[in-house]
Amino acid sequence: MATERDLMATRIILKAVLPVSKVVMDLVPSMQKKFAGVTGSFQLAAKHEGEEIGAAFVVEDGVLEIHQGVLENPDIKFTFSKPEALNAFLTGGIALPKVKGLGKIGLLMKFVSLLLSLTILLPNKKPKKPDKMKLKVNMVMYMITTALSQYNKAGDPEMMKWTKSQPDRIYQMSCEPEGIAAYLRVKAGKTKAGRGYYTRKHPFVHMKFNGAAGALPVFLNDVEFVEGVSKGYVVIEGAPEYGAKMNDFMQRIQALIT
Amino acid sequence: MSEKTGTTWTVYDANTLSQAEIYGQVLCDLGEQHPKIVGLSADLAKSTKIGMFGDKFPDRFFNVGIAEQNLFGMAAGMARSGLTPFVSTMAAFVTMRAAEQVRTDICYQNLDVKIIATHGGTSFGAAGSTHHCTEDLSITRAFPNMTVLVPADGIETANAVKASLDYPGPVYIRIGRGFEPTYYKDEEYGFEIGKAVEINPGTDITIICCGVTVLQAAGAAKILQETDGLSVRVLNMHTIKPIDREAILKAVEETRRIVTFEDHNIHGGLGSAVADVIAESGKGCAFEKVGIPDCFCIVGYPEDLYSHYGLDSNAMIDKVREIMGKDFEEDENWDDEV
Repeated sequence: MATERDLMATRIILKAVLPVSKVVMDLVPSMQKKFAGVTGSFQLAAKHEGEEIGAAFVVEDGVLEIHQGVLENPDIKFTFSKPEALNAFLTGGIALPKVKGLGKIGLLMKFVSLLLSLTILLPNKKPKKPDKMKLKVNMVMYMITTALSQYNKAGDPEMMKWTKSQPDRIYQMSCEPEGIAAYLRVKAGKTKAGRGYYTRKHPFVHMKFNGAAGALPVFLNDVEFVEGVSKGYVVIEGAPEYGAKMNDFMQRIQALIT
Repeated sequence: MSEKTGTTWTVYDANTLSQAEIYGQVLCDLGEQHPKIVGLSADLAKSTKIGMFGDKFPDRFFNVGIAEQNLFGMAAGMARSGLTPFVSTMAAFVTMRAAEQVRTDICYQNLDVKIIATHGGTSFGAAGSTHHCTEDLSITRAFPNMTVLVPADGIETANAVKASLDYPGPVYIRIGRGFEPTYYKDEEYGFEIGKAVEINPGTDITIICCGVTVLQAAGAAKILQETDGLSVRVLNMHTIKPIDREAILKAVEETRRIVTFEDHNIHGGLGSAVADVIAESGKGCAFEKVGIPDCFCIVGYPEDLYSHYGLDSNAMIDKVREIMGKDFEEDENWDDEV
């Protein structure tokens, strides 16, 4: 029986982790080449209380979208017996799904390759090449802002308490000169993750990472957040207490999905 | 640096000296060049950072204990003896507990006592009403001979402390809790007591601000330009008294709309000083002043209080839009972008 924590992890994996595969598709030429002209779908699902929960990779003529929910008739489908198994499979653990669509081996290999590209998010993956570093920072930043929003939307009591008391505020993250940016918007209990810079309001807290080389040690927990600040990896503009609190939530989410 | 304990610890930017640390350092530098400078505090040397001066010049530093009235009485005596006292304690204690000594012992004699008042406004938000100080500008403005400065950040505090040394008479320099984000990058922008700094040119409306609201106003002006196409002049009115009448009247004539933002009660502070100039000029102008309303401030983190009282950049944006009479579509899409 899946616990609330398991279900929270599943939700974050489906709604925050899988979607960043679009970043891979956008930034990695070999992946674009692999999917050029391809149309097909790949469903990941887990059984829970007599129903299925999941998300699907849907590619149409090489363009990837992430569909939340369960497709009626995907080309390939991995079905796990329970959410914990899906979580384990997608966080580097061992779990065997029931597989549908083995006959479409070419398509399966492409989707597995896309799925494997997400392993760069694992904390033990420490890229050294600039393009890989940029890719990881981009993926982590998009993933974590969405995960924060989902953490609130899923009803984490502490996160909800934190967001409920706030007026319309933007928590911006950026990594320059790479030009990577994402934000979390909070307003009276509601949250939204967005890509890029929010332009309608000044950020309440802005975490400015000093390049991918500065962002990665902080994201990978190689340094404590305060140490990252003192080393110049990141500068916090705005309310320090709130920046620290957001970092607490980020750590919790990371613990949930690794 | 920022690892020091107490109420000024922050994770904001450990490589940048805090506002209070900068004035502590500047005072040390001035102390080397001017042997007549002495430092005084009332058991708050660490929190106010004047302790840095005390560490460097122990024989020229006097901690009078928790006795603010004596603090200013002693400073007056030292100034009469030819010394140049720099006195630092929390703004609430300067302007209320020791108001009589500041007024009568120092201002009445027009003595060269420089007062650095920390934790001004709501900057010590979580400490509660006893430590908030949203009346100090009103009180000190009313003291004859007193010059009143509200620097925007640590860099401007450095300029203010240096400028105060050669400025005749008592000077009240009001700073925050010590680690507010900085606006200025360096000291070379033309700081002069009594002269506002135009930090953003504009023709639609003028924001006049001081202290912690300067950075917020700069951010607001940038967004209003980019998203609304509004040309917002921002004046950093770091000197509340003597106020820069010329800059205010120029703004009246050239923008016709003025809004002031200050971390202070709306009565008697920056807004009132600006209003006095406008009213005396007899010129028409749309005018609003934003600050702490006529109430005791609620308790909380400073950033929450700034937001609550309409002093952060987002509130400034809303206020400017309101004054400009523009309607804006609400951004109410809460679906995560994926």
